Amino acid sequence: MSSSDIFDVLNIQNHRAGSPGSSGHTPVPSRTPKLQVSGMQRELYNLLGDNTPPVAVQKSNKFKDKMRTMAKPSPWSFAEFEPRQSVKLRHWVKGSKELVEQQPQVNAFEKYNTKLTIPEFTEEEYNSFMKDKTGKDDDSKKWSFRDVRQLFDLCRKYDMRWFIIQDRFEVEEQRSLEDMKEIFYLVCHQYFMAQTPDNPLVGSLKFSKEKEVERKKYLQRLLSRSAAEIAEEEALIVESKKFEMAARKTSSERESLLRLLDSPNSDKPIAQFLTSQGMTQLYNSLLSDKTKKRKYEQTVPENPWMKQQQQFAQQKQQMQQLQEQKVITNNKNINNQTQVKKTKKQKQELQIAVKRKADSEYAEQLLQNFTAEERRSLGVQTHGEKLPSGAYLRSTRISTFKAATQTKIATTLQELGLPSRPAMPTSEVIQHHELLLGRISSMLDLKKQVDKLEAEKDIKK
Amino acid sequence: MGPIPAKRIKTLSVARPIIYGNSAKKMGDVKPPNAPVEHTHMWTIFVRGPNGEDLSDIIKCVVYKLHETYPNPTRTVDAPPFELTETGWGEFEINVKIHFVESASEKPISFYHHLRLHKYHNADASGIKIENDSGNTDVESIFYDEVVFNEPNEDFFKVLMAQPGYVLPSNKTEKTVFSKQLAREEIDRINIGISKVDEEIEVLKEKLSVLTKS
Repeated sequence: MSSSDIFDVLNIQNHRAGSPGSSGHTPVPSRTPKLQVSGMQRELYNLLGDNTPPVAVQKSNKFKDKMRTMAKPSPWSFAEFEPRQSVKLRHWVKGSKELVEQQPQVNAFEKYNTKLTIPEFTEEEYNSFMKDKTGKDDDSKKWSFRDVRQLFDLCRKYDMRWFIIQDRFEVEEQRSLEDMKEIFYLVCHQYFMAQTPDNPLVGSLKFSKEKEVERKKYLQRLLSRSAAEIAEEEALIVESKKFEMAARKTSSERESLLRLLDSPNSDKPIAQFLTSQGMTQLYNSLLSDKTKKRKYEQTVPENPWMKQQQQFAQQKQQMQQLQEQKVITNNKNINNQTQVKKTKKQKQELQIAVKRKADSEYAEQLLQNFTAEERRSLGVQTHGEKLPSGAYLRSTRISTFKAATQTKIATTLQELGLPSRPAMPTSEVIQHHELLLGRISSMLDLKKQVDKLEAEKDIKK
Repeated sequence: MGPIPAKRIKTLSVARPIIYGNSAKKMGDVKPPNAPVEHTHMWTIFVRGPNGEDLSDIIKCVVYKLHETYPNPTRTVDAPPFELTETGWGEFEINVKIHFVESASEKPISFYHHLRLHKYHNADASGIKIENDSGNTDVESIFYDEVVFNEPNEDFFKVLMAQPGYVLPSNKTEKTVFSKQLAREEIDRINIGISKVDEEIEVLKEKLSVLTKS
């Protein structure tokens, strides 16, 4: 489809091509050069028809930017140099011709052209320093001086490139690469031992043929594995990694568990935890431990207003404190200051403690007329603790445990030949009994842990 | 509404030892006239002090709840001695409820006692029972316990302080088994148990440290 078709459809007279009079001669070629277009683009150009834009928008040819550097180009000169006798070469060197010609030219790569210093010796020398070896070693017997000489020459010639040396080595019997290396190092060692026995580097001239052969065999085996074997090996490695990970995880878990169990250390006296205060302390410490462990803490989005308020409150408090401190320093009363700093909760606790103290003081006061002996005979005692008031039978207040633990403890008591309920539950007896129960409980815990570990160890085996 | 309860004395407790249990005797041909034919034993259940005190200063009454097959199974003993004698042929659990005197204004305490009529050759593993077989026909099952009044009110405290109630016989005798001596022996036994357990703990700790290292 071209523009003429569209004009035809739209019934527009094509003033140039469509006129019947001018049908005879060829249409005038357009002045703008026809763009070389193809495909879809060509179709689009055809649609344009005669309404071609007056100026063809074409990308202008962009030339390279001119060099703007103001520095003078540095001179380079083509200089001649002699890498060795009878060879003359030329290379480009930085600097003017006069300057370059003044200096003798050296090959920059001359320093890499090094040679190994491989010992040279005559047959007599060889025989003299090898005589203590040839007697013992069967292998070295096979090596005639001629062969050794040839080997050393080749080493010198090919810079100890062993594969080439093996290829060029001309003897009747086939010698393995390891054989050649072995005799080479042995001879070198013997040579230097004869020449400079004090040289510390002599010791490094050692070559173990067995190890080399083994290494090669191992490599051979490693490289000749089948695809299935490689896959299996990789799978095994993955499995072992998994196992290691699991083991690490369980061990870390166990450690944390042990830490939990260990606080407080079970071998330490528990006396400090027997009082209610000690108990709350322990409870709190355990609780805080737990919160530390918790992975997913509920994060409540901060209320900026609250924060601001808190800041205000803090500032206010600080101001107050400052003022109070002034007052206190005037009054020389430090006691107040410490109390101000305490939080509400602490205050409450303090109040309770003070009250309890007052209570126990009152109780003590009531009993002040009685001696210890009399108190015992009256069965009265001041424990100074908050316990539920009321009457109870002492034997009913023996601690109980979880059902599973309880039975285990009962069994242990039986093994020890002790009753699960003391025959005489006096306060002293019960105190001892409680201590015993605590010990048994921690022992059972330990036992459980040990059993678990042993089982794991068995599995690992 | 009763009187305003007196103030409790905080952080103070008073313990009173009690002994409860039963004694039983096989009846021969001589039977009480009203006893049923199938009853073979005569037993007495009691609550008293370690020296045979009647404990009437703290106890108002003791209610024994017998097996339902007895006529009027709930028996209230409201005067010392707080004991009850009956006849029977089988053992059962007796519910014992001790009501304290009015001034105590404490709730009653309740516990069970297993009525024992027969001897067992294999002593109970719990070792609670102190068996006292004087003669072949007598069976006794007696327990020692202590009633602890924690934070008694002031009125009751005066009652408790009126006379020494915590008096244990110093030595074990045929009649008074529960004594200071027995308590001491018990503590010693428990201490031995503690040291044994401690040894075991040490051994286990050693094992644990070896295992955790490896």
